[in-house]
Amino acid sequence: MSGALRLSLVIVACVGLLAAGRAATASRTPAKQAVTVEAVAFQPADLTVNVGDTVVWTNKDPFPHTVTSKNGAFDSKELAADKTWTYRAQKKGDYPYVCTLHPTMTGTLRVR
Amino acid sequence: MKLSVLALASSLVLPAAASAQSINDAQIASIVVTANQVDIDAGNFAKTRAKNPQVKQFAQQMVTDHTGVNKQATALAAKLKVTPQDNPTSQSLKSGGDANVAKLKTLKGADFDKAYIDHEVDYHQAVLDAVDKTLIPGAKNDELKALLVKTRPAFVAHLEHAKHVQAELSGKK
Repeated sequence: MSGALRLSLVIVACVGLLAAGRAATASRTPAKQAVTVEAVAFQPADLTVNVGDTVVWTNKDPFPHTVTSKNGAFDSKELAADKTWTYRAQKKGDYPYVCTLHPTMTGTLRVR
Repeated sequence: MKLSVLALASSLVLPAAASAQSINDAQIASIVVTANQVDIDAGNFAKTRAKNPQVKQFAQQMVTDHTGVNKQATALAAKLKVTPQDNPTSQSLKSGGDANVAKLKTLKGADFDKAYIDHEVDYHQAVLDAVDKTLIPGAKNDELKALLVKTRPAFVAHLEHAKHVQAELSGKK
């Protein structure tokens, strides 16, 4: 095998590896999902995401809410009107959450 | 028994509730703004006078939430070029609110907490009834109707919250 051929084979292999790596990364690109907080409710109230995904809660009510996990995994603290809060799902499991200011508001984040 | 008490409470809070047919949007705007303001006034007084931390927190939340709703309602009225129009319902809400604060001023400690929360339960129930029977069916403008529909769950949440605090208070007696 000539030196040139060997080099080109190595290049092809590298490109192949890069492409494969990129494809694998693409399939794991973290998704961004949205929850609307409006009319004293979370919409959707039940959301399933993958580990690494981000979830953005947007408060469309004219007064504050919170997004507070019942088991202490996350807490937005007071989320003012028109503000957003972002959380990156870290660990698999079901996370029921409430608004501590309006306990009638409940939701569940399911991390798969 | 409970129903008749509730009906009585409703009629006390809103003795001159207008019918959905006879009410116009300017009157509805006035009722919405007054209903919120009455609860803000009571909350502002209660958060300084209340003894129980849950009652204090509830009072603060009433001030925050109803102030937010009123900002939104006032902005919508301005956008629609509707000037809130005084009417028997808004007037009775205002005088009822003043009478409530005057009564609360004579009370202290646990008596105050109980009287404030009891009134909040009745008040939110009465306003909710007015929203369902008069304001939402009576609203002509779609945006005004939508605002009422969107605000309704806040009154439900407040009512549930007030009932919860009421139960906690009675449990401690």
